[in-house]
Amino acid sequence: MMLEPAQRAGDAPRSASEQGAAPGPSTPVTAEPATRLSPPSEDARLRAEREQWRLRRSLERQLHDGAALRISALTLQLGLLRQRAAEAGCDLQTYIDDFQDELHAVLQELRDVSSKIYPPLLDEAGLGPALREAADAMDLPVRVDAGEDRFGPAAEGAAYFAVVGFLQAVPAGSARLDVVVRREDHVLAVDVIGAEARHADAMLGAVRRLDGAIDVVSGPNAATITMRIPCE
Amino acid sequence: MRVALAEDGALFREGLVMLLEAAGHEVVGCTADGDSLVELLVKQPADIAILDIRMPPEPDGGLVTAERLRAAHPGMGLLFLSHYAESHYLMRILQIGTEAVGYRLKEKIGSVEVLSDTLTRISGGEIVIEPVLARRLVERPRGERKGVISTLSERELDVLRLMAEGRSNNGIAAQLFVTPKAVEKHIASIFGKLNLHADATEHHRRVLAVLTYLRSQRDGD
Repeated sequence: MMLEPAQRAGDAPRSASEQGAAPGPSTPVTAEPATRLSPPSEDARLRAEREQWRLRRSLERQLHDGAALRISALTLQLGLLRQRAAEAGCDLQTYIDDFQDELHAVLQELRDVSSKIYPPLLDEAGLGPALREAADAMDLPVRVDAGEDRFGPAAEGAAYFAVVGFLQAVPAGSARLDVVVRREDHVLAVDVIGAEARHADAMLGAVRRLDGAIDVVSGPNAATITMRIPCE
Repeated sequence: MRVALAEDGALFREGLVMLLEAAGHEVVGCTADGDSLVELLVKQPADIAILDIRMPPEPDGGLVTAERLRAAHPGMGLLFLSHYAESHYLMRILQIGTEAVGYRLKEKIGSVEVLSDTLTRISGGEIVIEPVLARRLVERPRGERKGVISTLSERELDVLRLMAEGRSNNGIAAQLFVTPKAVEKHIASIFGKLNLHADATEHHRRVLAVLTYLRSQRDGD
């Protein structure tokens, strides 16, 4: 049954006094003019944006250290149960095997969710390994050239999803692409070589909130799109 | 078998100890981080160390710990456990050692039979690789390799997948219900098609050749 919004447990006032105390939306408490808050400063906005990426990364870690680990531990406990049942002459083997397979499927789904929140390989190993793994999964001829340098969760996260979003838009059977990850002082620079220039807009959308910029150099056959994101 | 393990998740660690004991193995040490395990194993002999990849020292303490253990006890088998089966980690593990190493998903060792089989193969010197990952490597080889892989027959693909799991000829034969002789023939044919040099005497080298072939980028990586 669908609940009306007012019937939802979290929304309902907990007591009559609370209900009485809450002013109705249509009756302003005072007649003084409203004060509009000034928009956050550029600095504050950028800090908040970076904080979002840190939050995504910590959500992924929470899934890994919490739910995923509990489910993995459960498969061990089931294995123990299977052994004890066999010793007791109880034929539960097939049921428990099926149960464990199902838990594996649950974990695969959690992994899929994790990789969309913040890819664990990006967190642990950086842009090079994460982009290579993503390109392999998409079956595109992509060569990734990246060192071991790290750029912080925000710049890496934004660059990763910008490149992956671009790769998803590339038609199958395309010519080879090169992705080069490098540092220019406090800026993460990523060149996508062999791309079509029309993809640059989408990349800008993915990095602009971190004050990222996109440059396009058009060649005879394909362009080089370079994104630059201020980083740690 | 004498087994030592390091894993920072208490629930998983305790479950693993219980399952190991139920499988008849002796747990000679159990720690929540890699450094403590290295210290413990200075005096305590063990046949195999089981390591969580993502544990202290952060970020990938299992790998750092494994390097130290391999240097101090070259004969000790290493089994890496992780929530993720990534070719990136497989390659790093193979840089630590190409003999008596294993890499498996945490939720895939949850039976006495699988756990013991994994430990036995590792202590026998084999490379043991999570079947999910082996299948992905064979089905999604890098770049140009795809064309060559598609020339393999159905049966040859089965053999290649089991090779990528690190299985020996006898192991592959048992899985496919054929003779080891038939497996040898398939492997010779696969190596011919992949244009790899078949060093028939060295099992782990052959496995390594297959894995490197599947993973390398066209112009070397």
